[in-house]
Amino acid sequence: MTTRIYLQPLPVRIWHWLNALGIVTLCLTGAQIRFPEYVPLFGSYRGAIMLHNTAGICVALSFSIWFFYYKLASNTMEKIYIPTLTDLKLFPRQVIFYFFAYFFGVPNPHHATPDNKFNPLQKSAYLAIMFVLVPLVSLTGILLMNVAPLREMVVLAGGLKILVAAHFLLACSLCAFLFTHVYLATLGKTPLAYWKPMWTGWEDVEEHGQTAKH
Amino acid sequence: MNHGIRIQLQHACFTLVAGLFLGLLLSLPAAGAGFSYGEVGTKNDDCLKCHGDRSKVDKRTYVDQDRFSHTTHARFGCRSCHDGVSASHPDGRSVAHTTTCRDCHDTVAVEYGKSAHAGKAACGGCHNPHQAVRPEQVSGDDLNRQCANCHTKQKIITSHSRWLPQAGLHMESIACVACHSKAASFVVSIYIAKHRDKDEGEAIRTASYAELATKAGSGELQALIDRNHDNYISLDELRRFNLNPDNKELYLRGMIVPLNPTHTFQTFDDRWNCTFCHASGPEIMQTSYLTLPKPDGTYAAMSVERGAVLDALHTIPDFYLMGSARNTTLNKIGLAIIAGGLVMPVGHGFLRFLTRKNR
Repeated sequence: MTTRIYLQPLPVRIWHWLNALGIVTLCLTGAQIRFPEYVPLFGSYRGAIMLHNTAGICVALSFSIWFFYYKLASNTMEKIYIPTLTDLKLFPRQVIFYFFAYFFGVPNPHHATPDNKFNPLQKSAYLAIMFVLVPLVSLTGILLMNVAPLREMVVLAGGLKILVAAHFLLACSLCAFLFTHVYLATLGKTPLAYWKPMWTGWEDVEEHGQTAKH
Repeated sequence: MNHGIRIQLQHACFTLVAGLFLGLLLSLPAAGAGFSYGEVGTKNDDCLKCHGDRSKVDKRTYVDQDRFSHTTHARFGCRSCHDGVSASHPDGRSVAHTTTCRDCHDTVAVEYGKSAHAGKAACGGCHNPHQAVRPEQVSGDDLNRQCANCHTKQKIITSHSRWLPQAGLHMESIACVACHSKAASFVVSIYIAKHRDKDEGEAIRTASYAELATKAGSGELQALIDRNHDNYISLDELRRFNLNPDNKELYLRGMIVPLNPTHTFQTFDDRWNCTFCHASGPEIMQTSYLTLPKPDGTYAAMSVERGAVLDALHTIPDFYLMGSARNTTLNKIGLAIIAGGLVMPVGHGFLRFLTRKNR
């Protein structure tokens, strides 16, 4: 017997899919910008740059939606994203699940609720992604988009090359996370079980609690 | 006429013709070159007594002696061009002259006549003949300043912004003639720039000779970078310059300039395509020169070790050409990071497939 819980509110879903579309676009256009002769995906080079800039602005805006929703509207940012001492204690258990117990059919020890969506591993990963990686890649991107007007800040950051190197490596890290993120989202009861709540907001939970997000 | 007199006359004529021929031959070095250096120097001095003194002539006819003395034109002498100076000069009348730029620069004149600029500006519109030096003696900023006399910076940025992302950045990093004239090749010219002073409007400013001379102290200017005085800048010397805490207010700035630009000024179709520059590592982007100011207002270029533009961090930190100046080591690190992200889907996915019956 299953019940349905409202796990992902509308602002979170808008942010998530805007972010997803934006980051995929950024990765592909970014690849063309850096390797124009190998990745001619979007026609002209100028087209790729315009699309990259637009997607970058969308991701920065969606980040704002995320921040305002969790911090100001629902005031659950710390609760959801900052690992507690309990989370740290449960960290090994979650690692063992993913890399060992899962293969033997042991259920996920973490049960997602609206107030405690993420398991300890997710919390740590999302903390790094949302509080370090995305802000830094956005900041370097904003500077690179406005080199002439923000020249002083570019020079303060160590020059254009340092910014480009940082932006590129951060973007590669985000891209690497994307592969892992998409794969882990298929670890539900069915491959699309975790995708559905991020689309509809509702998650089916077994009465005796054998469900969780990845 | 008897035979003796005829022989004497023939002898006299021969002597006269030979004498004239010899005299002509002896005068050829001076006449052939059009001047004698000593004579010209004196004649220039005569003119510059007044025209080199701001207090004696108006701004229009004033000639900066320092800058004029380094031009090829100075070697030919004032009178070579200003051939209509009368004996009564200065008499308040303007000096007519029959010499034109085309008399010497005919190839350039033909080339320029076919350009989009023809009919809009004469030679003097861009070139001050009393300050004209070779392209390699001029900085990229100087080249662009000539264009800005008519095409104001703001108008240029506005018009280019209609199609060119970051037009302002392009304008400050590329010489206008790199796109608007044909050139055999392009190089990256490296300048020592200075951080903006509080009272200055421009964010970027190439350091002047005086500023760098103060920095260099008693030593030569090039010693600021060329530590071993071999007139060649290695990548290591560039790195040392950047990492030297004494140079914290200075930084190296790169600018794309054409080698031997032509006068075929127009907008070429291939320049609308960003990949004209932003393609993968073309040879040109590995060739760079350090361009240092000289006391006379001109610049001297010094060869730089190949690959300065491609060095990830420490050579020209403030110059980057997307698609062309990417660093191979960073590419490998980036690829390793992305491959790391695939470990989970591939490795875990494989084990998941093998153990699928357990779930």
